[in-house]
Amino acid sequence: MAEGETSALSGRRVLVVEDDYLIADDLARSLEQLGATILGPTGSVKGALALLARGEAIDAAVLDINLGAEKVFPVADALIKEGVPFVFATGYDHWIVPDTFSRVRRFEKPIDIRALARALSK
Amino acid sequence: MPEKKNRGIGRDPPTSDELLRLVVESATDFAIIAMDDGGKVTSWNIGAGRLLGYAEDEILGGDGDIVFTPEDRAAGAPERERLEAAARGRAEDERWHQRKDGSRFWGSGLLMPLADGSGFVKIMRDLTERRTAQEGLREREELFRLLATSIPQLVFRTRASGERTWGSPQWVSFTGLSLEESLGFGWLDAVHPDDKEVTAAAWTTARETGEYRVEHRLQRVADGEYRWHQTVAKPAANLDDPGDWVGTSTDIHEMRGLQERQKVLLAELQHRTRNLLALVQSIARKTLRSSSSLDEFAAEFEGRLGALGRVQGILARVDHRAIDLRELVEVELKAHENGNGVPGKVTMEGPTVMLPPTSAQVLTLAIHELATNAVKYGALKQPSGRLAITWRIEGGTEPRAVLDWHESGVQMPDRGGHPGRRGYGRELIERALPYQLKAETDLRFGPDGVHCRIATAIEREEPGDG
Repeated sequence: MAEGETSALSGRRVLVVEDDYLIADDLARSLEQLGATILGPTGSVKGALALLARGEAIDAAVLDINLGAEKVFPVADALIKEGVPFVFATGYDHWIVPDTFSRVRRFEKPIDIRALARALSK
Repeated sequence: MPEKKNRGIGRDPPTSDELLRLVVESATDFAIIAMDDGGKVTSWNIGAGRLLGYAEDEILGGDGDIVFTPEDRAAGAPERERLEAAARGRAEDERWHQRKDGSRFWGSGLLMPLADGSGFVKIMRDLTERRTAQEGLREREELFRLLATSIPQLVFRTRASGERTWGSPQWVSFTGLSLEESLGFGWLDAVHPDDKEVTAAAWTTARETGEYRVEHRLQRVADGEYRWHQTVAKPAANLDDPGDWVGTSTDIHEMRGLQERQKVLLAELQHRTRNLLALVQSIARKTLRSSSSLDEFAAEFEGRLGALGRVQGILARVDHRAIDLRELVEVELKAHENGNGVPGKVTMEGPTVMLPPTSAQVLTLAIHELATNAVKYGALKQPSGRLAITWRIEGGTEPRAVLDWHESGVQMPDRGGHPGRRGYGRELIERALPYQLKAETDLRFGPDGVHCRIATAIEREEPGDG
């Protein structure tokens, strides 16, 4: 990986919400390689809200929409309230996303990690 | 006055006999035939010649009944007509007649007895065209009525404004609105309140495009259910009345339901496919990180893809519903040669335990790692090795499936197997299963082989029999 890329997310604290372990682990490792510090990963709304409640600094978040039986939208609401930028990572088409989040950027799985890093570094 | 002068030149006014003769001769559109009381022709005007094809001199004295069709003559129609005329003073003659050349026409006329009793006079016109037009109209109306009342669609006639002028019996019985109630804009009462606006607006478009087309809900009076219909109307090809439109409403309720369901299924399929691709991507990267050579990567990655493929096959077969734990274990063991058929080398025992389909993928990957390890280093490699897999359901209010993987008779290597492999399998069992399934796991490398215990949630919908 080129040097500019390894530091693309340097110093940024990124929350990862993804219910599939292998995907979550891969995403976390890949973002770490780009310099990010990972919060989580966690696979549930409850887990994500608990992380937020700890009051640690968060610069950005990647949210998988479908977390088993539940949807990630309560976490998205909480992040908007906190003013934390975030993107969705999902296998679903756009129509599953409520209108309130229509302006949130969506990354379709499998995720292009460099494009994701560019979005998270802004 | 000039006309009076002209008419009078060199002549006296005509006598009444002359006048009658003039009228008869000039009435060229009418056949005027005089006959004696036996039906012999005594007078034959120009109109009769034109209509029937016989010249006056060839028919005079001949049989007047010749203008009837052979069937009517055989049936005695001419005699009946004369009897009726004699008795009542006139007989209507409305029937098909036959010309000299055998062609037929619809003659409409009267037969009257002559005042002096010497015979009859028949006055007749050719009304074939009118007759044909009437018959055609009647046939078309009958065809329309038959179509409109036989097809499952609700049929209506309307003005281009949307004002109804007619509704088929199906419309009346489906909506419960009588014909009178449906006229004008009364039919809108059957339309769902939320669809009234689009239904009315479509008439504006229809007048521009020449076709009315809308999908809306119509209330079925039988059960009050609003059912989706597609309503289409077009101008009837009615030259007399271009404002006359004909339309149908077709029940598309089931079709719309299927379309909705298909949309959901497609989204679900896309979701699964994309997640699967993401999973394959992460397995590839993880395998790459722990592989010391490309050959090693290829072997490990292919094995893991194979396990993923097998579990997809099972999931597809059960339509992504609950999965039997035994099947997951058996399929994976079979793929790993299952102890090469040595009796007693591998034993499996447990009741029917149904697992949620969402657990299947990661559980299979974990079992795959245990089996691969056993084939490469453990109970399935060494002749003295044995593998016992058992499962049961434990716990009261929140029952869990408990799977025990117990290898024995294994000569354990000093450092407990290949570090990369152990790292991956261990991570799946000790981290992935708790993270993803909230499973409790325990993996030990005992002195005589690997012992692994996995406790995970069972499918609540379909309880097992154990």
